[in-house]
Formats: sequence, C-alpha cells, structure tokens
Amino acid sequence: MPVVNVSAAEEYQKYINADKTTVALFAADWAEQCGQVKDALEELAKITGEKLQFISLNAEQFPDISMKHQIEAVPTVIFFAKGSAVDRVDGVDIAAISAKSKKLAESASSAAATGQTLEERLKALINKAPLMIFMKGDRNGPRCGFSKQLIGIVNETNLPYETFDILGDEEVRQGLKTYSDWPTYPQVYVKGELIGGLDIIKELLANNELESTLKG
Amino acid sequence: MSKYDSKYLEEKLKRELQTEYVSVTDESDGCGGKFSAVIVSPAFSGKTLLQKHRLVNSTLAEELKEIHAFSQKSYTPEEWEKVKAQ
Repeated sequence: MPVVNVSAAEEYQKYINADKTTVALFAADWAEQCGQVKDALEELAKITGEKLQFISLNAEQFPDISMKHQIEAVPTVIFFAKGSAVDRVDGVDIAAISAKSKKLAESASSAAATGQTLEERLKALINKAPLMIFMKGDRNGPRCGFSKQLIGIVNETNLPYETFDILGDEEVRQGLKTYSDWPTYPQVYVKGELIGGLDIIKELLANNELESTLKG
Repeated sequence: MSKYDSKYLEEKLKRELQTEYVSVTDESDGCGGKFSAVIVSPAFSGKTLLQKHRLVNSTLAEELKEIHAFSQKSYTPEEWEKVKAQ
C-alpha cells in the first residue's frame, strides 16, 4: 500500500483511529527533506506490507492537528495506534523512522498471529512471573522516582521478580490502568493479583508484611 | 501545573470520605503536580490496603488525571490511634 496523501481532516481522523497502526508524515511542499522521508516511507510501506498504513499531510494545511501534536518542524513523523500518538520522530532521521516502523509492524503481526486481545495479553503479562513489576524503565535503569524506590525495596527482599517497562508500550500502559482499576505506576502483582503501588509496598514493609505478601 | 491545591484536595476528601483527619501536603513547590496525603476515615473500616487506596483513587479520579504524583497513607480511626502512639 503506497503512502496516501491526506487532504481532509475527516480522512486523517479515519486513518489514525483505524485498528491498523498509522505512520503519519507531517510535511511541507517547500521543505526538500520531506521528499526524502516520503521516499523512505514508500519503501517501508513495501516492506511492511499490510501491517501498517502510511499517510502524508501538509502540516500548514492542518494547523489544529499540527498544534495538537506540537509539530515544530517538518518533516515530523508520528505513529498512531487506535487514535493515540504512540511514538514520533522529529526531523530527517530515516534510520529512526525505519526502526520504529519495523518494530510496530512486528508487534502488529505478533498480535495478529496469536489473535490475542489486549485483555488476554495483559492477563498473560501480569502472570508472567510470580512477582511482576510494571514500571517506568527497568530494574537497572528506573526512569521515575517511584519506580526507583520500589525496586530498591523489592531488591532488599532478595526475591526473584520480573519487570515490564510501560514506557515502551503505550497500549499496555493505558490498558493496564483500566484493567486493574489502578491509575498509576509502578504496579506490583503477585501471582496475577494486584498488590498495589509504592505506598502500599512501603506500608507492607513498615508492618513487616512485605516478604510474606510478595511470596504470595 | 494542575489547578488543584492542598486545601481543595483536603476539602474534597473530607466531604466525600467523612474523614476524621486529613492532611494534604503540596510537595511540588506550589505547581500542584505532586502531593502526599494522610487520610483517616471510618470509610476504610474492613477494607484491605488495596481497597483503601482504590477508594481514595476513585474519589480523586478526576484530579489524579492532572496530578502527576500522589502518595497516600490511609488509615481507619483505630489504625490512626496506633500510628500516632508510635
């Protein structure tokens, strides 16, 4: 499927809200580099086949959309999954655009291959290890103060655990909040049951109940 | 920057959860993005830790969309007596 030139806002909405992940190029006719990126997208469209859809729009023709996504320079590429922007590349970084497109195409095909719904996927993830931590970053590089404190406390117990970096997966990040009815990260699960966030872990620690709770 | 301050959050928690004691501290130097709270309410009686926190989270669901970081210590009046005694 070739790159589609979008000229109406409704058309744009239809694309980005589709089930298929959309790679959207915000371009301008006067910027030569946009042509390079567009050529690269045409190539990527061939490689990724039907897994992704590619669109190109004139950023200046859609000031509201450009404003919403803080398009400060053309070309900018934004990746949309079911209406929300999940990633972006500012400028002519063909390597980054290509790597991100391929990664999204891959995850699209793995979801399609297993036929997993988001709910099934979340359920499998929280049950991946007896002690699962959903956090920002990973145990060696926590990327938020709360996640960092949590890892510090859990490491003290010497219990084995696995982590999932929600910053790398917007679908899981949003989905798990709803699935578990818990608005924030980090989240700790024992045998698939939500234990809570950092506050709860701290309180369990203060009450000397942490180790027994984490063992399940 | 959120439009909420500690006083607003305290009043809302007091109203919704009939708290016996509530104290919300703004830890964001006034920008309203980070708060910590101590909440004492009979509404927590018989609830697990997780359920208590869920109750507070759902009470402040709208506000938490804008508040970046919110930490809570939520006690029943009986638990609070013990905490104070420590």
